Amino acid sequence: MNRNSTTSVDGISRRSVLAAGAAGLALSTSGCIESVQSVVNGSGDGQVSLSIMTVPADGDRENVQIARHLEENLEAAGVDVSVDMRSRSEFLEAILLDHEFDCYVGRHPGEYDPDFLYETLHSTYASEKGWQNPFGVTSPIAFDRPLEAQRAADGDERRDHIATLLSNLATAVPFEPICIPDENRIARSDRFEGWDSGHLATRHGYLGLEPAADVDRLHALITDSRISRNLNPLSATLRERGTIIDLVYDSLLTERDGEIEPWLAESIETETEDGSTTIHVTLREECLFHDEEPVTAEDVAFTYRFLDDTSLGRTSISSPAPRYRGHVSAIDHVAVDDQYQLTITTSTGEAVALRALTVPIVPRHRWRDQVVDRSEDDEFSTEQGEWGLVTMDNIPATGGGPYRFESNSEREYLTLERYDDHFTRRENDLPEAPVEELEFSIDPGSKSSIERVASGNADVTASMVSASTVADIPDESGLTHLEQGSNTFYHLGFNTRKTPFSNVHFRRAVAQLLDKAWLVENVFYGHASPITTPVADEWTPDELAWEGEDPAAPFVGSDGELDVELAKQAFENAGYRYDEEGRLLESY
Amino acid sequence: MFTEVLTRVVTVVAIMLPIAVLLFVGRQRLATTRREWRSRLRTEAPVIAILLVVLGFNRVMRQAGPAISQEIGFHMTSTFYQVEGEFILVFQRIASAEMTAYFSAIYVYGYAFLLVFPVVAYFALSETRTFRRLLTAYSLNYAIGVVLYILVIAYGPRNMMPELLIETNLYDNSPEYQHLTREVNRNVNVFPSLHTSLAATAAIYAFRTREQYRAWFPIAVVLAISVIISTMYLGIHWAIDVVAGLLLAGAAVWIADRLVARSALIRETTTRQLDRLRGNR
Repeated sequence: MNRNSTTSVDGISRRSVLAAGAAGLALSTSGCIESVQSVVNGSGDGQVSLSIMTVPADGDRENVQIARHLEENLEAAGVDVSVDMRSRSEFLEAILLDHEFDCYVGRHPGEYDPDFLYETLHSTYASEKGWQNPFGVTSPIAFDRPLEAQRAADGDERRDHIATLLSNLATAVPFEPICIPDENRIARSDRFEGWDSGHLATRHGYLGLEPAADVDRLHALITDSRISRNLNPLSATLRERGTIIDLVYDSLLTERDGEIEPWLAESIETETEDGSTTIHVTLREECLFHDEEPVTAEDVAFTYRFLDDTSLGRTSISSPAPRYRGHVSAIDHVAVDDQYQLTITTSTGEAVALRALTVPIVPRHRWRDQVVDRSEDDEFSTEQGEWGLVTMDNIPATGGGPYRFESNSEREYLTLERYDDHFTRRENDLPEAPVEELEFSIDPGSKSSIERVASGNADVTASMVSASTVADIPDESGLTHLEQGSNTFYHLGFNTRKTPFSNVHFRRAVAQLLDKAWLVENVFYGHASPITTPVADEWTPDELAWEGEDPAAPFVGSDGELDVELAKQAFENAGYRYDEEGRLLESY
Repeated sequence: MFTEVLTRVVTVVAIMLPIAVLLFVGRQRLATTRREWRSRLRTEAPVIAILLVVLGFNRVMRQAGPAISQEIGFHMTSTFYQVEGEFILVFQRIASAEMTAYFSAIYVYGYAFLLVFPVVAYFALSETRTFRRLLTAYSLNYAIGVVLYILVIAYGPRNMMPELLIETNLYDNSPEYQHLTREVNRNVNVFPSLHTSLAATAAIYAFRTREQYRAWFPIAVVLAISVIISTMYLGIHWAIDVVAGLLLAGAAVWIADRLVARSALIRETTTRQLDRLRGNR
């Protein structure tokens, strides 16, 4: 298997590669393909060589266009560069689990609270697998210190620490934020009302809907097939924002339009003092998981213990889940007071403590049994982020959420059915499951998805549509064009564990090869906003706000056209040299 | 959606087929076929069975393929792109709405017809060898193709340079076809182009049977060339996939010649030996 991420043509003419390729084709054997690979990978002759990993255009065509924009500019600056394409799950596997990449262009799921940067940047996680620090950056002063400080604070003080963090982020660039997309969708307003009552990337997008009189089924289209194959809430490679997981699993609190509200917790009382918060949680009584087992404080306590170490202490090295790492790390202690009462203490301020209470609660009896069963195997190993329990398909999923698993067919559909015992069915003030059946059909094309909704064969595009197809959304009665903001952002991620991206000056020079404004205009057709920081505007300090141009990593050129001399100068200032043919040489 | 598109393809082929049979095969051959179909079918049954087995195997591999591919496959998208770059954009020079409609129709309907008609036409020949070779060659195309699909993980040009193919991208212009192709293939199965290899195979046999089916030969060639260009025009395949497809077609035909000649020889020998044993030489 070729996992080499630095595929490049080093000092070998295209013709000879073509000849080797043709020979490989003629014989059509794997051995020959291997030899082509080795020719292509060939030993370096000193030119800087790297590959940009990204995902195919199916489903999200902007990533590869950004990658090719960068490729073109890197090439002009004398770098030997290639674009490497992986399916969405293999892409995340290479970046989050294997850490085998040079740099990548992708969409980060982001989050409503900037504390997601804690797991993203903290040096403690540099060698862990999952969404925790995929860049391998270790910077105790620039990152760890403000990350800890913002956790302990609230209000203006927290804002100041976040500002410091963001400014250090713009200087050290372990990743370069590019833009925030506008989330465009099309939905049938003749079958459902209330499309704007919640964001469709959250559970509230679905739960707030009001169906027309005879409607008992919602048919949503999704471009990504992963949800039809796997429902494991812990999978790092198969989840993005976990929208559907949040319909199947409940969390103590829920985020709605940036505000935190009680969900499985009926009420909470918080006391914050000197950077530590105590939360008294009262659960809703008589809630049941989908297998009719009661949801109790024990399940909540188990969930936090399990996410912190999925081996439950059965192996010598703990095995934290590859998702929700930051949430769990905020928690110091969980005490079960009685069946429906818990006391949770965190070493953080209130905002971060509340964020920690948004993880999906899993049934103790099921997951504990899984760990026990697996630990009876002679070859029991709980490799962090990759072992069976965090990668298994978890179908049928047993959560406690408003919808439960009904059926699935790989790469075709996932059907959920309303869970009639859910607490939202008896509480009047909470949005409940609007219809009996919720079907997510896989339709990989934005354009065909739009046509299907327009022609009445589906109710909504659950995935946001590609920017290039927004103009295809028809303006007809019975249809509604939804435009919502986003927490997700496109970014260029660097593997700071190895050359050349271990060099901060090199990273900064590369970041300046991106013309974000041009990309937004030409790749996103204006359906995005260029950014300097990966968090919402309200957290971005003025000096990093985008005001017509990038205050931190201004593009070296204009209107998408690179100023090659300036770009080369930036690399020279970073300590690199050029040979007489204008190729950027590796520095030693 | 999928059934709709499939029905359309079946309908189009079902309409074109009888017309083509009347035009190219002729009444006389049809009459003979009516008399001899049983014995022909008996001789040809094994190759039909093999083709069905291969097609069934292909279906299974479409499910199991991804997992195996992930273990033993080679990521080649970046290599293909480095070798040929934006070569296939040469076909964008002839791009127009009409061309896109033509090539889309060719890619879906023309291709289906090009593969199905020879099966019927060669069944109507009194000698069975051409038919057996054609089906053997088809089977080989699919069998070798599926092995290469597992070994080579590559995305087509539409996934690499979507914005440059926006005018002609098959799925942008006719999104309904995505439901059909998704059912029979995956987006990482681009090397080799089976559209190319099977179309070329059909064209090679059209050349060989040009004595019997004089009018079919030029039509098959035009169809095959159109199918091959359509794969690149519509942004589905790299030129490398097409070259590999042509090589695969050549290999499949060559091997089919050897295989069918030998089994014919064996059968002839056995018949002769049987005759000798029976003493009625």
